[in-house]
Amino acid sequence: MIATLPRLHAVTDDRVLGEAGGEGRAVAAASLMAAAAAAAGAALAVHLRTRALTGAGLLRAARSFAAALGPTGAWLVVNDRADVARAAPARAVVTGRGGLSARDVRRVAPALLVGRSVHSGTEARAAEAEGADFLVAGPIYPTASHPATPAAGLDLVRHAAAGGGAVIAIGGLTPERTPDVVAAGGWGVAAIRALWDAPDPAAAVRAFLAALPASDAISLLVNGEPRRARPGTTVAELLRDLALDPRAVVVEHNRRVVRRDALEATALADGDAVELVHFVGGG
Amino acid sequence: MTTTLTASFQDAPLAIGGRSFRSRLMVGTGKYRDNATMVRAIEASGAEIVTVAVRRVSLDRSKEEGILHHLDPARVFLLANTAGCYTAEDAMRYARLAREAGFNEFVKLEVIGDQQTLLPDVAGLLEAARQLVREGFVVMAYTNEDLVTALRLEDAGIAAVMPLASPIGSGLGLLNPYHVRIIKSRLTVPVIVDAGVGTASDACVTMEQGVDGILMNTAIAEARDPAQMAHAMRLATEAGRAAYLAGRMARREVAVPSSPEKGMLS
Repeated sequence: MIATLPRLHAVTDDRVLGEAGGEGRAVAAASLMAAAAAAAGAALAVHLRTRALTGAGLLRAARSFAAALGPTGAWLVVNDRADVARAAPARAVVTGRGGLSARDVRRVAPALLVGRSVHSGTEARAAEAEGADFLVAGPIYPTASHPATPAAGLDLVRHAAAGGGAVIAIGGLTPERTPDVVAAGGWGVAAIRALWDAPDPAAAVRAFLAALPASDAISLLVNGEPRRARPGTTVAELLRDLALDPRAVVVEHNRRVVRRDALEATALADGDAVELVHFVGGG
Repeated sequence: MTTTLTASFQDAPLAIGGRSFRSRLMVGTGKYRDNATMVRAIEASGAEIVTVAVRRVSLDRSKEEGILHHLDPARVFLLANTAGCYTAEDAMRYARLAREAGFNEFVKLEVIGDQQTLLPDVAGLLEAARQLVREGFVVMAYTNEDLVTALRLEDAGIAAVMPLASPIGSGLGLLNPYHVRIIKSRLTVPVIVDAGVGTASDACVTMEQGVDGILMNTAIAEARDPAQMAHAMRLATEAGRAAYLAGRMARREVAVPSSPEKGMLS
């Protein structure tokens, strides 16, 4: 589990990015949606998923998104390309069937969180066993993006969530269907058309967020800055979420030094103060 | 650059807290215009002990990285300071965080009492020193050039006392050689003069007092050519140390000719 994984994920596809001028429009739409989420006290995750761009083109697009999203606290997530995600830099990578394992993504980009796209409970278990930070499970409902794939239904959410990890449901999601995903144990939802094709994408973001739980996050003070996290978040998870190498920082939790071997076992609670320090030049 | 000292310079290693050091010059890592300049200066100084400060990491990953990206802890001995702390409690907090970084048990303890002069708060210093010694720290305490405080610190179990030459960053040189000599003559633990040196002659005069070592930062970092100044400081520290060991001649207020008076032409 990870500290502050957003509950709402806007996923691009070839249609969004592939057309002439599509990238500029998508960046503008992503900024609007991310700002709407931020105004509602939530963070949006924007997934760059396309086969229309490769290598340098994808990295250029990722950097445009990262620059636009930065001020809103939104996450940039790059699909499949751990190298591009690391260079952008993105917060997370999601790899699919036939893509790199979570373990291998970490070899390429140790600071990134890793999501795995899963289509069955079995795949979910395997992804968790290899160390995935979250799961993207789908398609839950019939979807225009994958018309040939049968919808797995909410059982997939239940099976994927049974392992205790964070599950993002994808495939035919709408604000109306979102409460069912949450009831099935899902952490959040991902959408393509319901967001990018909405007449008012910011309003669509607000509608999704209204259907998602918002209140179970805990409030932390990290280096003096307020920050939200999931209950039970450990210090190690917080460091991963902040892309900080645990060997390069020393952690203080409510004024007590946390030994390095206790980072995984130290859970954070609402109102906790965390200080993350390192050595700098001094006399 | 190599040192120009000859083999006739015999000196014992500097022992602090059970460790032994060849260089009596210690340097800070603050205020350098860039990391490459800092690294060159440290190398030119020949220093083994290098001070660092403890500060929050930037949560924005695009910002600066820690100093360990530039300093190899296998090549220098990292001495964490508690600079910027105004209470014993804060100083102990920083010391504990520094120790968890995992390099050593040493701490350069500073408890500042006045913002304008950065002079130490000796009451807070003694309190923090006593507690940190209890917790197993090897404490090197930055203090005034005051004998009684130095004696109390030694009683507290610190590993080295660090009287100032003049205020931190002032470059005024050794203002009170008499008091520094008195401290050296009365203490058993090493005396390392810390802060206030401005140029090489200051370092030399300081070492001529017989102290065990010297620590500086600004004099090197703010020189026009820090690596060159670091080299000068290395030579001056060694020169002052050698002069002290050699034992200077007596001062007299009359002239004594150096050449024989006998054998002059009539």
